[in-house]
Amino acid sequence: MSNPSEATLPPGAGGGDDVDETRRKLLLATCIAGGAASGAAAWPFLASMEPSERAKALGAPVEADISALAPGEQMIVEWQGKPVWVVRRTQEMLASLKKDEARLADPSSRRSDQPEYAQNEWRAREDHKDLLVVVGICTHLGCSPTSKFAPGDPSMGADWLGGFLCPCHGSKFDLAGRVYANFPAPDNLPIPRYKFLSDAKVLIGDDKA
Amino acid sequence: MNVKRILAALAAAAFAAAVGPVRAAEGVKLDDIEVNLTDVASLQSGARTFVNYCLNCHSASLVRYSALRQLDLTDEQIKDNLMFTAEKIGMPMDIAMRPRDAKAWFATVPPDLSVIARARGADWLYTYLRTFYRDASTPTGWNNPVYTSPVMPHVLWKLQGEQVLKEVPATTRDGRPVVDEHGQPRKLAKLELAAPGRQSTAEYDKTAYDLVNFLVWMGEPNQLERKRLGIWVLFGLTVLVFLTYFLKLVYWKNVH
Amino acid sequence: MANGTTGNAWALRLFEWVDSRFPLSALWKEHLSEYYAPKNFNFWYYFGSLSLLVLVLQTITGIFLTMNYKPDATLAFASVEYIMREVPWGWLIRYLHSTGASAFFICVYLHMFRALLYGSYRKPRELLWLVGVLIFLSLMAEAFFGYLLPWGQMSYWGAQVIVNLFGAIPFVGEDLAIWIRGDYVVSDATLNRFFALHVAALPLVLVGLVVVHILALHDEHVGSNNPDGIEIKKNKDPVTGIPRDAIPFHPYYTVKDIFGAMVFLLVFSVIVFFAPELGGYFLEHNNFIPADPLKTPSHIAPVWYFTPYYSVLRATTDELKWVIGAAVAVFMLWAYLRYRRRTGGLVIFGFRLSLPTSIGMVLLVIGAVLFWLLVVLEAKVWGVLLMGASVVIFAFLPWLDRSPVKSIRYKGWMYKLALAVFAIAFIVLGYLGMQVPTPTATRIAQVSMIAYFAFFLLMPWYTSIDKTKPPPERLT
Repeated sequence: MSNPSEATLPPGAGGGDDVDETRRKLLLATCIAGGAASGAAAWPFLASMEPSERAKALGAPVEADISALAPGEQMIVEWQGKPVWVVRRTQEMLASLKKDEARLADPSSRRSDQPEYAQNEWRAREDHKDLLVVVGICTHLGCSPTSKFAPGDPSMGADWLGGFLCPCHGSKFDLAGRVYANFPAPDNLPIPRYKFLSDAKVLIGDDKA
Repeated sequence: MNVKRILAALAAAAFAAAVGPVRAAEGVKLDDIEVNLTDVASLQSGARTFVNYCLNCHSASLVRYSALRQLDLTDEQIKDNLMFTAEKIGMPMDIAMRPRDAKAWFATVPPDLSVIARARGADWLYTYLRTFYRDASTPTGWNNPVYTSPVMPHVLWKLQGEQVLKEVPATTRDGRPVVDEHGQPRKLAKLELAAPGRQSTAEYDKTAYDLVNFLVWMGEPNQLERKRLGIWVLFGLTVLVFLTYFLKLVYWKNVH
Repeated sequence: MANGTTGNAWALRLFEWVDSRFPLSALWKEHLSEYYAPKNFNFWYYFGSLSLLVLVLQTITGIFLTMNYKPDATLAFASVEYIMREVPWGWLIRYLHSTGASAFFICVYLHMFRALLYGSYRKPRELLWLVGVLIFLSLMAEAFFGYLLPWGQMSYWGAQVIVNLFGAIPFVGEDLAIWIRGDYVVSDATLNRFFALHVAALPLVLVGLVVVHILALHDEHVGSNNPDGIEIKKNKDPVTGIPRDAIPFHPYYTVKDIFGAMVFLLVFSVIVFFAPELGGYFLEHNNFIPADPLKTPSHIAPVWYFTPYYSVLRATTDELKWVIGAAVAVFMLWAYLRYRRRTGGLVIFGFRLSLPTSIGMVLLVIGAVLFWLLVVLEAKVWGVLLMGASVVIFAFLPWLDRSPVKSIRYKGWMYKLALAVFAIAFIVLGYLGMQVPTPTATRIAQVSMIAYFAFFLLMPWYTSIDKTKPPPERLT
């Protein structure tokens, strides 16, 4: 028969210190093991929310045919659900890049997101420096800017050299996608990884040799 | 109370019955096949047979070509040898034939084979692939004992050759004829190779085996990882069972 | 109790802030640390907490499956395979859910069996038992709705057959079946609504009922049951007021149930990782063929946990319904003979009838209606009614069991035999429900069915005359 008061007291109270010690060690060991097991059990659920194979397949690199792209023209290619602009810039457009650098927030593209080969004055690969490949999503809150290539465009002001205007909050970008200072957008437009399969085809999203 | 013991015995029996082979066709004894998904060469060979012979009428639209990377194949190898109708490696193994056309041409839509091995079982598929025989009475000229009058012709006939179904009198082991209760001699249906194909019987059996192996893999490509992981999970849980058991004992020490 | 370090003091203050606005410590004491349970709970007592564990498991895995599943007839099957192949760890979440469904029924059936062993349904716990029956019914509905979702051949045709059963109900059946389906046959409309019911409606009902179930259990007025079937609250310590044979649920049963959970998870993991199909019982082979409304599979059977009831449905043939009619007539005769000796009777239109006449009249009316029903209704309808009865009859147990003792340990040989026969009948019915029906199999199913119902319907009789042993004063 159990001692009634014993059964209702906390366990180990009647047994002495060594039971208490064993209990504490076992409890600690079990909690640690249980915690590890819980983490291991939770992991698959959290990881399952990562992009699936299908999302990754749909996000695969995209080929763009630029053979019909004339100088001064822009084409839009969809990659990973985002608009990527390919602009074949004229010589005047390239020359204008150096002129307004004082008014740019990050003229050397130190803060912005681009591959190493695009961290230069044209923000493009050197062998095809006239071709701008840029993700057309404003770095402020994600709207897609409109193109304003004409210098002196009346809506942009007499000193406008050509570039892009984001309609949502008025951020301005130059013809290399670099953001003007004192506008809401903090950074230059990102440049994706890309490479030229030939003079007529560019692969956007991948640059592995 | 012996209820616990009885229940445990029943559970064990049920479990044993459950995991054994279950899906024999009515009246046809299926051949046994031991699938081996660690045999990558076999899986690659099966993939090749599948893509060359099956993947024109049958789709496997729930499987992407990129899944074949798990068979130790590079993207180049997959694109060069196994992709005939798709351009990107991320695309699923679809076919060009529309179900509407299939219905018009074959009166039935050839089923998608992505999970056929889970529906039919490896034994059934292995038997099916090897027991086609010539039968002039069917629209395709072929018949099969495990799946009577399929619309499907024997796609692999050039490899296996042509079998015919012969009725032979049944005999006991020492050669005496077997009779039924009316005194009539019992007949057995036997398959005989009437015209040989490009492969010998042993070679064709291997081709069929590789194909079934591949189909089983394709039905659930994660199987090996599942089992591998399972070992670790069981190990971890065994540790926890031990720990929690002793924890329980320690707490219950003073309860009588 | 603050031991002086700043961290602990802050934790204590936060706790007290919450506790003075929400009955946190009160709930903890009432349901865990000062909820006193008998100290002799055995193996059969694990299955309640295990059922709760499986409910949590199914809910969590269900949520994550819903993130990728598409409830559309053209997309559903492929979306399940998408989860299996392309969602990271999707295969594991799927197998946990499919194995969990079967595990749920195993735990619930064993949990119910415990009640049959130890009389857990006896007064004053009748309501607890009824809530449990409601949980069981809800669980069956939840499983039925969920099984359509993979949109395989078994999913489709199983749903088609069962919804058609509702169509067997006279007068309203057809319209009812169409209303349930949302269409003339099981279709995309059916799939979508079954999805809503399975994912949102029934889980809420289940969780609500489980809360009510536990509250009813913890109610201080429902006594306390245990394997000896005696009331431990009759023997309290005079100082503390705590029953002498009781221990606080926390830490004793929390620590024991955690151990039980680990063993359960071990067995569960063996299945999930090494045999998730379990030979076709947990994941049916035919369900890997996409649903084809034009092609019925040669062998439709429900999932194993429904097969006992399916057996009852199939075993109810035309000849059997006459047997049922005869049995009911015999019962009514017995009821009349048994109760006619009592005084008191009906008053109809100012006329006072004697009791024998009253009972006789009532029984005659019932008998006439029954006879008419037997003639008019097809065996199919009787099958549906009996199938329903075989589930609902559990609800009547508290009033069918007339034994002076609660636990099987002190009941006589009759109850033990009856329970054994019932368990065997249940298993036989379940097994036969999976097989193709043959004349012999149908006979065996009919006999098993009669044994099944006899366990309940004859219980008032054999529990009254059974020779019981006196239960002990204190727990053994």
